[in-house]
Amino acid sequence: MTSEWFPIFLREMILFRRRLLRLGYLFSAMVVPIIYLVAFGLGLGTRVQMAGTDYLSYLIPGLVAMSAMNNSYTWVASNMNLNRVYFKTFQVFVQAPIHSSSIMVGEVLAGMVKGLFASVLIIVVGLLASSRFSLSPLFAGTLLLTCFLFASLGVITGMLAKSHEDTATYSNFFIMPMAFFSGTFFPVHTMPAVIKGIIYILPLTHANIVIRKEALDSEGFLSLLILVGYALCFFIYGSWLIKKYSE
Amino acid sequence: MNGDDSRNRMMIEAEALIKDYGGIRAVDRVSFKIPAGEVFGLLGPNGAGKTTTIKMLTTLSIPDSGRCRIDGFDVVKNPMAIKRRIGVVPQENNLDRDLTAYENLFIYARLHRMENPREEIEAMLRAVDLWERKDSVVGNFSGGMQRRLLLARALLPKPPVLFLDEPSIGLDPQIRRQMWAMIRKTKIEGRTLVLTTHYIEEAETLCDRVGILSRGRLIALDAPRNLKAIVGEYVVEFVDPEGKLRQQICRNPEEAHALAKQRENGVTIRKTNLEDVFIRLTGERIE
Repeated sequence: MTSEWFPIFLREMILFRRRLLRLGYLFSAMVVPIIYLVAFGLGLGTRVQMAGTDYLSYLIPGLVAMSAMNNSYTWVASNMNLNRVYFKTFQVFVQAPIHSSSIMVGEVLAGMVKGLFASVLIIVVGLLASSRFSLSPLFAGTLLLTCFLFASLGVITGMLAKSHEDTATYSNFFIMPMAFFSGTFFPVHTMPAVIKGIIYILPLTHANIVIRKEALDSEGFLSLLILVGYALCFFIYGSWLIKKYSE
Repeated sequence: MNGDDSRNRMMIEAEALIKDYGGIRAVDRVSFKIPAGEVFGLLGPNGAGKTTTIKMLTTLSIPDSGRCRIDGFDVVKNPMAIKRRIGVVPQENNLDRDLTAYENLFIYARLHRMENPREEIEAMLRAVDLWERKDSVVGNFSGGMQRRLLLARALLPKPPVLFLDEPSIGLDPQIRRQMWAMIRKTKIEGRTLVLTTHYIEEAETLCDRVGILSRGRLIALDAPRNLKAIVGEYVVEFVDPEGKLRQQICRNPEEAHALAKQRENGVTIRKTNLEDVFIRLTGERIE
């Protein structure tokens, strides 16, 4: 069981490396967060204060979490769905003598690499653009956990969506609102109470809370627990969907 | 794998398999047994339930009811044991189009726990005449090359049971015969083969026994020669006064010649094939 996941991961990495060599892939991973960084961060950054710091320093960790979410989720959901519904390559995994959890691990690790890759690009830009932005073990751990969580959610979407168009619909309903309302661009506590209640259900909200902490306080610890809970639930549910897969 | 004992051992057993899709019964109480080393064909038109039956036998689809066992292991209860024993050439190409031929086989070999598969991959790619193209991306391959690579991939872990779902679909006659030669070779190596086809010649040429499927039901099962003997050995074909091609099956050549003499022009006498059997049993053509 120890290395059953490796061929799944290896396949994704070979394909990822091949796509990386195409300029469009690299550009598409970076373009949205860079636009936000330039438009909101550099445009408003020096004039607006947010949560006791300049806006650019506030924004960068949020953009890193958002980028981790977008890339881990989108690539896994899209690939899984295409491989399952159109290219049928998912059949090869299901008919191989490996456990469903190994398929899950391989896909999630590959999704994490893609999410981390896009996030590292933002981190590099952030380090160059803001002198107050710095990295910590808590930041790195939260980033990894965020990638893991959303890659697992990507597997769930990839398994449940009946077509590639459906994956875009899920993204529009869940991922896009999360990107805007979960504390990436402004603190959640400024929102009306009713909406705030909904926002605190969303996992990216908690990723944004923890990733901005310099040290783990009680609020951060609770958010971290919620993130871990989401991650475990998504991982277990994704593995179960793969195990129960039937055409 | 050779010898009387192994040949008498039932390698595949299907019992009353049922599968519904959206209220439509795709497979309806299909049962059969396949001894080790046999080439078994499932013949029928598109939509007869051939692929669904294969999917249930290869762990890809869970039956709504019924049981299937391979080498004594229940497909639903012990899928891991089944997956270690089978190779599958699917009807739809499921190769990774963005990977090279070598990469496709390497990933597959690792999925099937082959630790150092380089030599086996080279031997297999040479066997299907694709070694020179090992570093080419599969998306650039012709249909025939992709079918050969699918067969090579399925055979790589040396499975004792091989499923081929429409193995020569879409291939030109020359490539189809190459594919048949490769399939015959796998039989000689002692494997149990299950293939689905709607090509009459393919079923007659390759299969020891053939099951005929129509609308999800197994309506006949025997050796091709015996199936043809049931309906008669000869067919007289003639054009009726309205210009339609008619066929009449005859028990023996004397009966066929007597019938042919009654007709004036355009009469042909030929041997019965499995499509004639299918038409006699169902009133439909295999298309």
